[in-house]
Amino acid sequence: MTRTVESETELVVLPKKYGRRPAAQPRRPGLMKFGHWWWALPGIILVIAIHYVATAVGGFFAFTDWSGIGDFSWIGLDNFVRIFQDPSKLLALGNTLLLAFASVILSNIVGLGLALGLNRTLKSRYILRVLFFMPVVLSPLAVSYIWKFVFDFNGPINLVLKSVGLEEMVKPWVADPALAIWTVLVVIVWQNTGFAMVIYMAGLAAVPVEIEEAAAIDGANLWHRFSHVILPSIRPAVAIATTLGIVNGLRVFDQIMALTAGGPAGATETLATQVYKQSFALGNFGYGAALALLLTLIILSFAIVQQRVTSGPREEN
Amino acid sequence: MTQHRRTRVLRHGILAVAAAGALTLAGCSSSESPDESSDANQDFSFTFATSNNLESPYQTLADLYMEENPDVTITTNPTPNDKYGETIRTQLQAGNASDVIQTTPGSGDARGLIGLADAGFLEPLGDTAKSLVPEGSESLFEIDGKVYGQPLDFTIGSVVASFGNAGRMGITDFAWPESMDDLYAACDAAAATSGSLFALAGAAPPNTGLMAQAISATRVYAEDPDWNQQRLDGDTTFADSDGWKDTLQTIIDLNDGGCFQAGSEGGGFDAITNGLSGGTSIGGFIPSGAAIEIAKAAPPEAAFAVEPFPAADGGEPYIMASSNYTLSINAASKAKDAAAAFLEWMSEDAQQQKYYELSGELPVSAYKDMDLTGTIYEPVVDLLASSSYTSLPSNVWPNPSVYDALSVGVQGILTGQKSIDQVLADMDTAWDQ
Repeated sequence: MTRTVESETELVVLPKKYGRRPAAQPRRPGLMKFGHWWWALPGIILVIAIHYVATAVGGFFAFTDWSGIGDFSWIGLDNFVRIFQDPSKLLALGNTLLLAFASVILSNIVGLGLALGLNRTLKSRYILRVLFFMPVVLSPLAVSYIWKFVFDFNGPINLVLKSVGLEEMVKPWVADPALAIWTVLVVIVWQNTGFAMVIYMAGLAAVPVEIEEAAAIDGANLWHRFSHVILPSIRPAVAIATTLGIVNGLRVFDQIMALTAGGPAGATETLATQVYKQSFALGNFGYGAALALLLTLIILSFAIVQQRVTSGPREEN
Repeated sequence: MTQHRRTRVLRHGILAVAAAGALTLAGCSSSESPDESSDANQDFSFTFATSNNLESPYQTLADLYMEENPDVTITTNPTPNDKYGETIRTQLQAGNASDVIQTTPGSGDARGLIGLADAGFLEPLGDTAKSLVPEGSESLFEIDGKVYGQPLDFTIGSVVASFGNAGRMGITDFAWPESMDDLYAACDAAAATSGSLFALAGAAPPNTGLMAQAISATRVYAEDPDWNQQRLDGDTTFADSDGWKDTLQTIIDLNDGGCFQAGSEGGGFDAITNGLSGGTSIGGFIPSGAAIEIAKAAPPEAAFAVEPFPAADGGEPYIMASSNYTLSINAASKAKDAAAAFLEWMSEDAQQQKYYELSGELPVSAYKDMDLTGTIYEPVVDLLASSSYTSLPSNVWPNPSVYDALSVGVQGILTGQKSIDQVLADMDTAWDQ
């Protein structure tokens, strides 16, 4: 039983073994033969209609001046020209990239550190794993409102600062133009770290203890064992954690809307919050669709590049 | 799989796709046009915005209507205020909006009736609605002489102040300042008690926007009541307007003068509620009706009153006052007669009085004849009588982005991110988009 679970974990986290494959087993008659591809047709139709057709229609409106109701006109690339000529949208683009990359770097470093620390030996590791993973299962919106209270001018941070005589450091954290984006980053990293930790723990579970012990016997110190044995072994976990992290980071929305609503004065706006505001709050659906299309292309590009970078060289048998 | 079987599977697949497509199209289309709808239906639905978990005045009135008309069932759809505009737009576009919809006059808001009527989503209303439209505000309710929203209220957009709070803060003999010098003196007196003259939700753009509009009443519209029309005609711009520059400069002066609570730039609406009900602030820039709700959380001695913001030196007192809430009928409704009967009932004096008691908003049909002595409106009675007021500018502006640029810009001014010229240029850009 245990062996089966490990094998499935290995299938997920270990690199695929290329080279000669065992001959495919002939299909079992009976149950497998009973299925037909067109049974999946309703599901396929729904996926195409809800995901791809809807996205394509949204993409179409990016080239129009539709307000969300009534008629519209085809305006070509005007919406995209407006985006790149508007400093507030370029700031939103910069914030999007900053939050995505900073959150993925910090979440993964801290998550990997926690996974290494809680991988073996520590007696209280199970309870600590639960505690560190807990923020992941909480609603981002609820978590952000709690953090908003923490960062509030009359909140606990400022109360502590006042109580230790640091009144000059008391400030409205989420309304400070220089600090607001970092408060958002803190919340995102706090909530995402547990997710990265779990992925890395799954990866670490597949690293054979014998290899680590062999490296230690050969004189490799802690850092060398990590960089030359563990890290290469968990490369697929790194790929998964960073890809998911970057995609989630690029489309972060809840935390910003709850903490700052894009403020102060647009200092924490991202493409995702701008898509929402332009499309629905301000009635510029075409412009919002153009921002959404841009965000989609950015996510797609980074996901592809990131996958290529972290996939590593193909292993030879 | 044989060739024959593959062909059969393909044929089944194509048939399944066609059937699914036909079902989808059938679901998306209506089998009858609005003209063919039955007006005999007595039941209808009603969507309105709510800001809290208290029972909405609309809900109470709908219940009362059903009580008086047992054969009528109203399905109410209270919708959160912050998502209200986008919700009704999506529902109207999708064809599943309620029969009666709460809207706002003009086009400066996502729920603005002009934009919705222009897109063909609203039904023209009758003579009763037309008779309720405040004089001079026709352009906010009508297109080509047809009225698309029945006004309900007459809201004052100025300062709501609590004289009881001044006493609770230790300021004796507090009188509402009538000049800017008096106002800054009041700010100093309030700040000396660790409180503030104004509670401001600096991180909530609607509040910063309302504050700017309330101040602009004396700086812009007292001198040029038709300033918006001049802007529409291209005769002026925000950037060229001394009145608008003075308005934003006043906000900077108020901030520098310690008139707002500490950390006001990060405050939400809770800062206003807590400040006014908790007795740490004397006033706030909130709609007049909101005073009723805050009064429920404040002690009885809070003594709220609607006060005008002081004019600049040499200026005349002036306030924002207009109908901010309207009821409209969905053009695709199948119960238009029942919906129209409800609107007719809502316009009657008894219901208008009930609405005033429940919401605190003055009734649009009767506010001129009401004796407002001893009410929160007493300080502005003379201004109303002398017509020293104008409609809320954001209702008149051509799109929601102008008000957004003002609201966000004021927050930028408070945090030092934006200059007055930048904010006004942003408003001009939004106007011309």
